[in-house]
Amino acid sequence: MPDRLRLLPAFAALALLLLPDQAFAHCFVGARFLPATLNTDDPCVADEMSLPTVSKFKTGDDPSAKELDLSFDVAKRITENFGISVSQTWSRISPPGMPSVHGWQNLETAFQYQALKDAGREFALLAGLVVEWGGSGSQSLGTDRFSTITPTLYFGKGFGDLPEAAGWLRAFAVTGQFGYSFPTRRTTMMIDPDTGDISFQNNPNFLVYSGSLQFSMPYLKSNVADLDLPDFVNRLIPIVEAQFQTPVANNFGTGIRTTGTVNPGLIWVGDYFQIGVEAIIPINRASGTGGGAMAQLHIYLDDIFPTTIGRPLFASSAGASKPFGN
Amino acid sequence: MRSLIANAALALILVAGPADAHALLDHAEPRVGSTVSPPPREVSLSFTQRLEPAFSGAQVYDASGARVDVGRAQIAGSVMRIALKALAPGTYRVRWKVLSVDTHTTEGSFTFRVGP
Repeated sequence: MPDRLRLLPAFAALALLLLPDQAFAHCFVGARFLPATLNTDDPCVADEMSLPTVSKFKTGDDPSAKELDLSFDVAKRITENFGISVSQTWSRISPPGMPSVHGWQNLETAFQYQALKDAGREFALLAGLVVEWGGSGSQSLGTDRFSTITPTLYFGKGFGDLPEAAGWLRAFAVTGQFGYSFPTRRTTMMIDPDTGDISFQNNPNFLVYSGSLQFSMPYLKSNVADLDLPDFVNRLIPIVEAQFQTPVANNFGTGIRTTGTVNPGLIWVGDYFQIGVEAIIPINRASGTGGGAMAQLHIYLDDIFPTTIGRPLFASSAGASKPFGN
Repeated sequence: MRSLIANAALALILVAGPADAHALLDHAEPRVGSTVSPPPREVSLSFTQRLEPAFSGAQVYDASGARVDVGRAQIAGSVMRIALKALAPGTYRVRWKVLSVDTHTTEGSFTFRVGP
C-alpha cells in the first residue's frame, strides 16, 4: 500500500475527533441573510471560501498600469463566535511599454470576534484585527517589507424590522466596515539605484472604510411579497459597494488624498455557493483610470461539509432549542 | 508535503456527511404578502430542505397579536402545515423557525390578508 493511503485512516480519525456536536449558519441574522460581498467583509464569522476572486482594472499610477488580481480567501470558525481567515492574492501588473511583473501580494490574515447578533433587528456586529504580513509577498511586485495592522469593526443591518407599511423597503440591507491601519515601521529607506542617494519615505496610517447597499430578492420573496418570479430572479441580490482609504497620520510628503472605488453589481445566491459580479469605478485619478470589473465564486463550507470543516473546531455543547420556546 | 495535504483534504471529504443547505422558505400557501378569500383553513410552508420536526414550528397571529393557529404544526419532509381557527377579514402574521436535518437553524415571518 502506498504511504499516502496508509495515512488516510489516521487523517480520517483525526477529522472525526475534531467533530463538534453542533453547528450554525453563515451570515444569517434572524430572517436576514447577508451574502459575502466582494469588497466589504460580511459581519459574521463563518466557514467559507472565496475561490477565487478575479479583478481586472487600471491602477492609479502615472502612467496607469493594467492589473489582474486572483485572490483566494478561506474563513474558518474556531468557536461559535471566533474565527480566522487567510487571504492570498496573485497579481500581474503590466505598465505601458514595459514588461509585466507578477507574483504574490503579502499574506493577509484576519482574527474576528462576533460581538453581537440581534435577530429581531437584523443587526450584526463583528470586531476584527487584520494583519498584512510584511515581506511575505513577491519582491518583484514591490510589496511592503513591513507589516500593517488594521483593527476593524464590521456591521450589517437589515431593514426587515421597518413597519409593514414600508413594503419593499424592508428587503434592503446595509453593511459596512471601519478600520484604522498602521504600519509596524513608520518609514521606509529608499536607495536611488542610479546615484546611491538614500532617502526616507513615510508609511502613512490610513482610515479604511467601505460599505454596501443591497436589495435582497430572497428576502423579498420569503418575508415581504412572493411575486411568483422565476427562481433565478428570486436568488439575486443587486448591490452597490463603495470602498475608500484616507491617509490620516504620518503622511507628510505622501499626500492626503482619499482613494477608492464604487462597485455596482449583482450577487446570485445558491444553496451551496454564490457568484458575484461587480464593476470597478474609481472615484478619482489617484484611484485608477477607466473602469474595471471583478467576479467571485464564494463557497459555503458549512453547507457542503456540515459535519466536518463546515463547523467550528470547538462548539458549545448546547443542543438545538425548540422553536418559540414551546 | 503535497501528498500530506491531499490526504488531509480527502479524509475531510470522506467524513463529510451528505451536503444539506439551510432550510429556506421556498413557497407558502397563502402566498407571502398575498390577499386571499375565502379564509384559509391552514397555512402550508414548503422549505428547500427536510426539517427536524422536533425542533421546527410556526405560529400565526392576528393584528392584535392573538394566536390563531390550532394544535401543533404537522411536518412531513420539507413541508409544514399549521391548522387555523376561523379567520375574520384582516391581516395575519406567520412566524416560523426551523431546524434542517443538518442542524442549521433558520427563521422568518410574513403576513397575508384575508379579504372580505
